Amino acid sequence: MSKLTRRSFVKAAGGVAAVGLAGCGAASPSIAGNKAQVIVVGGGYGGATAAKYIKKADPNVSVILIEQNKHYYSCPLSNPVLVGMRDLEVQKWGYEGLKKHGITVVHETVTGVDTGAKKVTTAGGVFSYDKLVLSPGVSFNYDAIEGYDEAATKTMTHAWKAGPQTAILRDQIDAMKDGGTMVLVAPPNPFRCPPGPYERASLIAHYFKTKKPKSKLIVLDPKDKFSKFGLFQSGWEKLGYKGKYLEWVPAGEGGKVTRVDPKTNTVYTEMDEFKADVVNVIPPQKAGKVAFLAGVANDKGWCPIDFKTFESTMAKDVYVIGDSSAAAGLPKSGYAANSEAKVAAAAIIASLQGKPAPMPTYVNTCYSILAPNYGISVALVSTLKDGKITKLSGGLSPMEATPAFRHQEALYAESWYQAIMNDTFA
Amino acid sequence: MHLNKKSLLAVAGAMIAGGVAMNADEARADMASGLAMANTCAGCHGTDGMANGPAMPNIAGQPANYLIPVMKEFRSGERYSTIMGRIAKGYSDAEIEALSKAVAGWKWTGGAENPKLAMKTGETIAMVKPALAAEGEKLAKEMKCTKCHEDGGKSTEDDMPRVAGQHLDYLLFKMEDYKDEALKMPQPKKMKKRMDKASAKELEAISHFWAANK
Ligand SMILES: Cc1cc2nc3c(=O)[nH]c(=O)nc-3n(C[C@H](O)[C@H](O)[C@H](O)COP(=O)(O)OP(=O)(O)OC[C@H]3O[C@@H](n4cnc5c(N)ncnc54)[C@H](O)[C@@H]3O)c2cc1C
Repeated sequence: MSKLTRRSFVKAAGGVAAVGLAGCGAASPSIAGNKAQVIVVGGGYGGATAAKYIKKADPNVSVILIEQNKHYYSCPLSNPVLVGMRDLEVQKWGYEGLKKHGITVVHETVTGVDTGAKKVTTAGGVFSYDKLVLSPGVSFNYDAIEGYDEAATKTMTHAWKAGPQTAILRDQIDAMKDGGTMVLVAPPNPFRCPPGPYERASLIAHYFKTKKPKSKLIVLDPKDKFSKFGLFQSGWEKLGYKGKYLEWVPAGEGGKVTRVDPKTNTVYTEMDEFKADVVNVIPPQKAGKVAFLAGVANDKGWCPIDFKTFESTMAKDVYVIGDSSAAAGLPKSGYAANSEAKVAAAAIIASLQGKPAPMPTYVNTCYSILAPNYGISVALVSTLKDGKITKLSGGLSPMEATPAFRHQEALYAESWYQAIMNDTFA
Repeated sequence: MHLNKKSLLAVAGAMIAGGVAMNADEARADMASGLAMANTCAGCHGTDGMANGPAMPNIAGQPANYLIPVMKEFRSGERYSTIMGRIAKGYSDAEIEALSKAVAGWKWTGGAENPKLAMKTGETIAMVKPALAAEGEKLAKEMKCTKCHEDGGKSTEDDMPRVAGQHLDYLLFKMEDYKDEALKMPQPKKMKKRMDKASAKELEAISHFWAANK
């Protein structure tokens, strides 16, 4: 570990002390020697996995995870929560598991990143790093839809970051009278979880069908197609949602929303207006704010990276993983973030040891639930070829599948969730 | 299972040094990449191959002599699956071997109970019933399952997969699959004969026994 300077390490230790972690048992031994210092910003699917797998590969590396919240609420499987199929409590994870691996967890908001001086700033102190991992998720473009700003999310939720937003939308749907109308505004590409809005629409339609049969969901979409398109369309047909409980309005039929009025709960498209009882707006997205503070986002709002290592092409020793990265060929999903984290972790360890990065391998599988016991999936295995992330195999579950197949996929969705959450947080 | 990491890395190093252009498949087939590939399985099969239930199998410590042919059968479609066929197609023979050896090197750790599964998760999850498991134990002996699945299903001798302590919903699904003539699941002749004779109820009891025998 010749590259590491004692100076950067001592500063990191100072940073930890500054935020008052003196009582944290794991902190002192891991930063007491001349060790490489890795800082991970964001303790979600990407960041928590990266922290864990760096420690797993080399316990001698000192890892500090900076995460603003004490608990993490998983977006995956938060859609069933919205319709009472699932408790929000099942979505909640803490950081005790990571601390057991010897990771120092600091609950602070990162307010500045200086990639030249290799320093990260929070309200509590300044941290120096040898390697920095950024996995801050997404942030929202609040200037894209007139009237939809941060204040509006209090009543017109996005529920695209799980937690309090999930609870508000769940309660609104629960309180809605039978015979009510709900509007879901879908986002333009690229966005976190491409099938997510349509899984949400399916489950709301299921809820209306079984609990409030005079109600209807209108999905306004700025696109004409979306992920798992055929499987969703045929599912909506087979499950009896289409037309009756669920109406999807594509861009070509005027689905693009231009303005909202939170005071009257009205949504405006170029030709129409919809007054609704419940409105859910999934806004256009860009990289997490920290990526902009660090200067590693491009003019499209995402972070270009080297596909072999996930190191930023805009700043040395900074690795951007998860939704924020511009990882062409991979979806913005939790599984992809987990997979990217392992690639970055291996590349960071190799680099600290002065070795070339190993060949990356990426896997993504994504399940969507359309009704209880009705799951569909898409899979992807990819690697690096000619400098690009290239698909080796994968694809969708078959259009014509038996009920047993759909049932298995629904239960595999739950299994996936249990496995990946433990892989990330335990 | 002892992997000789050093020598494999040396070979990979020599190939680079010698200017041999490795294609992606070869490059992912060394031991370090075997582990990297195996780590991507954790998203469904859990960290180091111990899944957290309810329906995904633990793969930790399953013998390479079992994993390698099974992955190849998934890949060719000979073995029915919902998703593994789509995934296995992404790996060459050499890669399947490297990643299987890494998985075989992991330790089966008994499988901790998962507190989150006892909460309201939205799907109906099967729970082990002790009475049914006791009946299953008797049946597994009578039907000679334990002749090959030795040690109450814990054996991983040669190409024998461990079934004891496996997740219940997974076992129930697999029993259904093996029973379903249309799926033509590859299996040893002796096993097929016994599966043909067994009733769905008996197989359910045996599943409870395997799952309970941690
Ligand atoms: C409804 C829905 C359903 C989904 N379903 C699936 C699914 O089934 N499968 C799947 O694979 N994916 C799914 N996803 C996508 C998945 O949630 C994301 O792709 C994943 O969370 C991305 O991980 P990440 O690490 O990039 O970001 P996140 O998981 O969002 O983590 C970012 C973390 O960074 C922290 N942070 C941000 N800024 C700062 C700062 N300045 N200082 C300190 N901390 C900070 C945040 O608090 C957060 O904890 C779904 C998403 C949604 C919305």
